[in-house]
Amino acid sequence: MQEYFVLQIKMLNRKIIAFGIPLLLAYLLFPVIFFFLSNYLFSKTTYAIYFYGLASLGFTSTLSELKKNDFLRSIFNKTNYYKVRAAENLASTLPFLVFMLYKGYFPFAIILLLLSMLLIFSNFLNISNFKIPSPFSKRPFEFTIGFRKTYYLFAIAYFLAYMATSVGNFNLGIFSMILIGLICASYYLKPENEYIVWNSSATPREFLMEKMKICFTYFTLLSLPILIILGTYFYKSVDVLLLFFILINVYLATVILAKYASYPSEIDLPKGILVIMSLIFPPFLLGVIPFLYSKAINSLSLLLK
Amino acid sequence: MIRIKKISKKYGREKVLDSVTMNLEKGNVYGIVGENGAGKTTLFRCIAGIESHEGEITSEHGILKDHLGLLASEPFFFSKITGKEYIQLLANARNIKLSHIEDKNIFNLPLNKYASTYSTGMKKKLAFMAIMLQKNEVYVLDEPFSGVDIESNMIITQIIKKLKSLDRIVILSSHVFSTLSETCDEIYLLKGGKIMKKVKQKDFERLEKEMKAITIDSQIEKLFK
Repeated sequence: MQEYFVLQIKMLNRKIIAFGIPLLLAYLLFPVIFFFLSNYLFSKTTYAIYFYGLASLGFTSTLSELKKNDFLRSIFNKTNYYKVRAAENLASTLPFLVFMLYKGYFPFAIILLLLSMLLIFSNFLNISNFKIPSPFSKRPFEFTIGFRKTYYLFAIAYFLAYMATSVGNFNLGIFSMILIGLICASYYLKPENEYIVWNSSATPREFLMEKMKICFTYFTLLSLPILIILGTYFYKSVDVLLLFFILINVYLATVILAKYASYPSEIDLPKGILVIMSLIFPPFLLGVIPFLYSKAINSLSLLLK
Repeated sequence: MIRIKKISKKYGREKVLDSVTMNLEKGNVYGIVGENGAGKTTLFRCIAGIESHEGEITSEHGILKDHLGLLASEPFFFSKITGKEYIQLLANARNIKLSHIEDKNIFNLPLNKYASTYSTGMKKKLAFMAIMLQKNEVYVLDEPFSGVDIESNMIITQIIKKLKSLDRIVILSSHVFSTLSETCDEIYLLKGGKIMKKVKQKDFERLEKEMKAITIDSQIEKLFK
């Protein structure tokens, strides 16, 4: 049992190193970031404790994946299997529990601990196997898969856009469109298997252009309800709305280029920093986009002719 | 025709392919046999252009990879993509317009379910069907029969024969000799990354006996010594 957790830590360390962060820095930085984000949430809303509890349970429930647990069942006896799962769930809940106790939410912390222990009896493959209809089936794969994983977030974004018009808050409306952009960008964070790229008969340039075209088209489709609602209610600010719409498209293109610039690996830290820097200071894009484009062409030319 | 001239591949210091030369003609089926780790999959990946290598591969089709269907021994599938969408993805990648995919579902696969939930054999059949619908000129099939039920094995055998009659080039590997002897025109024996032998159809029986003598009789004895 101990070996299993040693292996888990080794795998986590390998992922951190592959991402380009020194281990010591990561272990110092993560708790600090976690503390500040938690504090920020609690400073913004009185309902923070509920969001926090749900976030913790959501995170822990990822450990209930059936195939992983089938594997655990095959290597451990029943007692050890439940011990491993309890230890895993406790480890994933612990940071949230500590912060809750620090904030003085003792009853909530106990309930969270009990619920996380109840999760050791759950396995979730049946839910994930249910086919969710996707409007993007004609052009698989990023949006087809991404939509199935994040469809509920679109409902939140559209609700925020509706709220923006109800309370007359244009910025909230813009945020709802940025949220759509962030969701779409998340579809491009993981590199696909090389077989999928190799299959394409496009040149590296055509391949990238096609990826961007699909992304722009589907992002536009998904943002259209927000554009129409905000454009109608805040017609005096249509220019700002369109500016944000164009900017989000440019950032989506940057993320796609960053993905393929690092291909077949995941987006590494230096390229991640470049994307973040250009978010903070948009004129950076003028240098970042051509740089990432040439890197992406180089990476893809190994598989595409 | 495809000319494979002295291709070699190293991973670090380990030479996985050593100066492999083959000439593959239209309308022929070629089998590659060899032990696990002999270099079959690496050879296939080099022919497909997924792996860089030394040596030269030329083809009358220009960019060979755009006319080549590769069936991997363990095909890759995304977690939330249906069988139908997988076929569509591979067709889109080659600018092939597909209509009525369900009508071409010869293996009766549940095309509207997530491919990741398929059994090993069903995944193989889906990947096989997808590359067939790409209408390729060349097919590289790594273990097309493994994990697949008997009925589907018979269908795959017939499809390979049909491809031959349509003047396509097929290269395949299998650990079941009978599947190769039934479909292949020539069999190459690969060992330690080298082509040790090229055998024509009339000598398949002799090759099988030789392989049995080397790999079965001598190896099994080791286990019981």
